[in-house]
Amino acid sequence: MIEEPYRWVEAIANRREYIEAQLASGSPIAALGYREGILFLTLGQRRQKIFEIYDRIAMGAIGHPGDIERLRMAAIELASTEGFTRSAADVSLRRLVHYSLSPLMKGAFEQVYGAPYLARMLFAEVGERPAEDLFLRVEYDGEIASNGATFAQVRQDFAVLSGTRQSRELMESFLKAEHRADASFETALKAALDAWTVGHMTLQTNDAKELPERAAITKYRQEQLANTGIEAGVLERDAGRTIRYHSLSDTELRSLIND
Amino acid sequence: MDKLPVALDQNFSGAIGDFPALLRHKGLLAPAAAVSSTPKVGTPHETSWQPTEATTILAFKFSGGVLVAGDRRATAGNTVVYDRADKVLEIDRHSIMAIAGVPATAWEMARVLEHSFQYFRRTQLQEMSVDGKVRALSKLLRDNFGFVMQGVGVVVPIFATYDSHPKPEARLYFYDAMGAQFEATDYAATGSGSPAVRGILYYENNWGAKPLQKLGEDEAVSIALRALDTAAESDTSTGGVDRGGKIYPLIKTVSSEGITTLPEGKIAAVFKETVA
Repeated sequence: MIEEPYRWVEAIANRREYIEAQLASGSPIAALGYREGILFLTLGQRRQKIFEIYDRIAMGAIGHPGDIERLRMAAIELASTEGFTRSAADVSLRRLVHYSLSPLMKGAFEQVYGAPYLARMLFAEVGERPAEDLFLRVEYDGEIASNGATFAQVRQDFAVLSGTRQSRELMESFLKAEHRADASFETALKAALDAWTVGHMTLQTNDAKELPERAAITKYRQEQLANTGIEAGVLERDAGRTIRYHSLSDTELRSLIND
Repeated sequence: MDKLPVALDQNFSGAIGDFPALLRHKGLLAPAAAVSSTPKVGTPHETSWQPTEATTILAFKFSGGVLVAGDRRATAGNTVVYDRADKVLEIDRHSIMAIAGVPATAWEMARVLEHSFQYFRRTQLQEMSVDGKVRALSKLLRDNFGFVMQGVGVVVPIFATYDSHPKPEARLYFYDAMGAQFEATDYAATGSGSPAVRGILYYENNWGAKPLQKLGEDEAVSIALRALDTAAESDTSTGGVDRGGKIYPLIKTVSSEGITTLPEGKIAAVFKETVA
């Protein structure tokens, strides 16, 4: 099969289609930079999706739990050994993702006789100022998207992850309009919840091109909040602390939502 | 070509959450040295091994948790190498390791320990228990014992922490060079100046104005300073309080709130009032 280039391309295309279908039902994750840090948020209670990686780095992921676990472990191992042998300041998300995780995932994806990683991940590293926050989304094939400015877009202070491309793009356009880097925690929390709602609403449909109406978002969000738990974590910007990550409980978040 | 920085680690070295094992696997930590009784070339003493942990550190429980204090002097033989050494080290939000012994080994151990606890929490998604932490230090000491027998790298630490489970209480442990751990009910001291300190703490605890566990913070600091100054009186390897250079011992406390490093100004004030 591999001898013929055409067959290899076909095999890769099939594999891509298969993985996309597997990931399509993944519940969205939103990561928003705000004044005092970065907030990660998702809804659901089947299994944990937001994790601490190192002092200033956190990760959210959808996909197969076994694959997420292997990648999470690789990231923690790498960051911890780097932080031990050099210093915590030398652990950088950019290096972790660009030089280690991305080649690893691309390699596995293109070895058509081996198993690819069924995972899509969102990493964030908190900076001293919101302008220094780094968000990286890593796809199952090693593709990396960052929040940095390109010819097509300005720099963003958030990043999202969802089961389908359409759902992700709608979440992004929602946050582009609704979120600002100097938001307070409460404002960011509401924007993250709404972004999740937009993402989850548009996962089910194939032809959602426009953002849902504001009232529809609120109604859907209330319905979902009644049935599922909130999972969230924060990377604090406070430079006085070494370890910036802590998770937030469902109950303490609900007391802030009040609607 | 070298392996990818992230080797496709199918063995899950991380799954058991053992950071020292991961470091050894990657060749980043010296392997545990074999214990041999044959003295190596350059061994300072031709006779059998002698403890040379030249310093004084002490810890005792008081009303606000545990107080840990250490002098600042680092020596090599008869020479004072450094008079601002930091021997009372924070390992995590609630744990302090205070060290007597060879600084290079001790600081490395503290670093390994600090990363071990974080690594365990991040990989296993739960905090390591106090018993697990105490045991982790014990294992590092045991792995180091081969070097100790060769005459290098002896470390005798004290470990103080605050346990919130099953009931909230301060806990204090001391070790020997082989890694045996002992839980102290009231106080612990190690290093070359420790016999004097142990005498003072025993006396204070039994016949002092009040037992150590009832002392307020200022009273506790005062006793720690007096004890270190007494140790420095007869032990050349202990710095005590340098009155001319205004160098005070390092004192930290652990409580349910976490670790507090007492500001030098406060230590100086207590010293002036009750010791000098």
